[in-house]
Amino acid sequence: MTRKIFIRTHFDLCTGCELCQLACSQRLLGGYNPHRALLRIAHARENLYHFPTVCSQCTNPYCATVCPVDAIERNAVTGAMVVDHDKCVACGLCHRYCPVQMIWIDPDLKKSVKCDLCGGDPCCVKACPTGALELATTGDDHDG
Amino acid sequence: MTADGYMGRFLVADLTRTEAWSVPLPAWLREGFVGGKGFGARLLCDLVPSGADPLGPENVIMFMTGPLTATAAPSMRACVVTKSPLTGIYLDSFFGGRFGPEIKYAGYDGLIVTGRAAHPTILAIQDDQVLFHPAGSIWGTDALTANARVKAELDAPEARVVTIGQAGENQVGFALISCEYNRQAGRGGAGAVMGAKNLKAIAVTGRRLVRVHDPVAFDAACRRAAADIAASDACSALTDSGTSNAVPWSNTVGTLPFRNHFDQVDAKADRLGDEGQKKHLFLGKAACHGCPIRCSQMGAVRTGRYAHMITDIVEYESAALMGSNLDIHDVRAVAHLVKLCDRYGLDSMSTGVVIAFAFEAVEKKVLSSPAGVTLAFGSVDGAEYLIRAIARQEDELGRLLGQGVKRAAVQLGKGSEAYALHVKGLEVPGWAPRGTPGMGLAYMTADRGACHQRGFMVAYEVGGEKFQGRPVDTYSLAQKAEILKDRQDYLAGLDALVKCDFGAFGVTSAHYAEMFNAATGRDVAPSFFNEVGERIWNQVRLFNLDEGLDARDDRLPRRFVDEPLPSGPHKGRRISDEDMDVLLTDYYCLRGWDSDGRPRAAKLAALGLQPSQRFEVGAPPRPLSPPTRDR
Repeated sequence: MTRKIFIRTHFDLCTGCELCQLACSQRLLGGYNPHRALLRIAHARENLYHFPTVCSQCTNPYCATVCPVDAIERNAVTGAMVVDHDKCVACGLCHRYCPVQMIWIDPDLKKSVKCDLCGGDPCCVKACPTGALELATTGDDHDG
Repeated sequence: MTADGYMGRFLVADLTRTEAWSVPLPAWLREGFVGGKGFGARLLCDLVPSGADPLGPENVIMFMTGPLTATAAPSMRACVVTKSPLTGIYLDSFFGGRFGPEIKYAGYDGLIVTGRAAHPTILAIQDDQVLFHPAGSIWGTDALTANARVKAELDAPEARVVTIGQAGENQVGFALISCEYNRQAGRGGAGAVMGAKNLKAIAVTGRRLVRVHDPVAFDAACRRAAADIAASDACSALTDSGTSNAVPWSNTVGTLPFRNHFDQVDAKADRLGDEGQKKHLFLGKAACHGCPIRCSQMGAVRTGRYAHMITDIVEYESAALMGSNLDIHDVRAVAHLVKLCDRYGLDSMSTGVVIAFAFEAVEKKVLSSPAGVTLAFGSVDGAEYLIRAIARQEDELGRLLGQGVKRAAVQLGKGSEAYALHVKGLEVPGWAPRGTPGMGLAYMTADRGACHQRGFMVAYEVGGEKFQGRPVDTYSLAQKAEILKDRQDYLAGLDALVKCDFGAFGVTSAHYAEMFNAATGRDVAPSFFNEVGERIWNQVRLFNLDEGLDARDDRLPRRFVDEPLPSGPHKGRRISDEDMDVLLTDYYCLRGWDSDGRPRAAKLAALGLQPSQRFEVGAPPRPLSPPTRDR
């Protein structure tokens, strides 16, 4: 098993400030809009709770399995599932079968978009002022 | 699409005609007035005819953003601007949360709502789509229930919504607008303006991007501003416990109102402050859009009579005006009263002052308690009774008090004006000014009536804040007008961005300028905000003068003038008529205003405030979207 980087979320520290989403949308699209970011925050119980959701970079990634053109592949360095926009045909199957709605067709790019962990140094984690998003590593480090 | 922090257009929604259209943002408005308060100040002058009924269809209610709203600039907000039904003059009210940015994500720098809907309506905006949706049974619900109901009704869980509660529907003079989520455009009765327009809610969803001129420079500037905040003790205190820690501090420096401002110290103040709130309420922190400070301390009442109620922090103003000023010290009970205000959609600040006025009027036998009700200082049940009566407007007492203390005192007579604590009709905030004459001047001259946010002189007079490197004398009248004018101009300039007051505790003017320049492509110096702010301040003054305001309105309530403080660090202090004359003469002179408080022609010319340009909403050239009628 390869080493995998992932973003661990801590809902108890999330304040719902959306700075992560602002950083993400700016990097992805060159402008700010939290709705277009590749992670989501759900606010619950009169704003008492904030639940961040990020792509799990699944071990069994349905998005990649259903992709008819094999456009979604695991990056060997980060372990992130990454969309190859040259291959993507924007069919939307990945979106349809993602259990946490963390991949979709962006209306401007007209391609499938999802978290690629920014190549290993996620801007959302850097933007988070409270540590609610944490960069973590999993996998078998002993093999190395 | 522009890449300058602006969206380049306003949305105009005419409720009478149920038509909506967009109007380009004129270059002269963008250059001269920047955004937020600046846009609102100018547009109110241009769009609302002199003498218009604030509750009539000709009044407009505007939700304005600034060039930094909705970006990653830390701690930004938006504002509501309208003609106030409480004061009859200019009103702006600032709100955080998530609604302001959404206006820009939908593609607009501001929403301009005019007219009056024939039936209770929800204005639903999804990018270019604008729908005048019937409010149906959502009309009659409280402000927070309405938020959930609107999202369900429109099948738009992601929508950012503003609502009014029953108080707004009933056009109470100090009804608020509840902004996604439970952040309030609280002061001056903007909720009543929505109610009078039959507008229960506005729901916005936007998919557009807000772009800045130089993203790399902007990111760097935002980091510097965030570093300012991280290094600021004042901001750190807000992160720790919001404004609750201001309660014991204010009590120590003798500015905490007690029993309708009878005194300015309260022996039990600590129960209402961070100590009491950490023990009884706080669970976690919540932040407004793009804010690293996270001053909002969310929690719940877990024990006692009001158990199992979710509550935000009891902010300083609420703790002071609904707590110590009513001689109520169980912070759980105060949280309950404030939550009632939030739900009914009442400004908890004005409501606290109104209740204190009523309690004192009963004490002085000018007003009598209804059968079975105790209206007296210390009575939570009495306060709750009045909140419900004011919001529902079903009886004489509720209708009397729902007008605010100024009109209630006129109606009640019998000397009650002496303890009706307002300036220009807006109830006095929770920073009691006897002993801090500069704060008195701030209340006298604040553009919307008694407001502590247009120049917080308490910080200089008893807080140790220096002005131009030098300490400021507490009781001296000298220099107070100079400091205040500087603060009023600077903060009005930042209110065009639109800043949050708490971010401005940390972020320097140089770093605001850097963010502004990188976002817009302009090249301004830090002094720019004072220049713009002075223009805005004078623009608002022109509106207020046009509405009949004059120098006699720039005065404090008689309690502060006639009654020396009974105890505390400022024992014996008051702000006399002579003091007010000195302060005001100084202030008018520095402002370039004549002795009647009117800007001189030379001042207006220097500020570029000749009426050569005028903003017009025009007629709908063509509807933005196919049928925008009721569904």
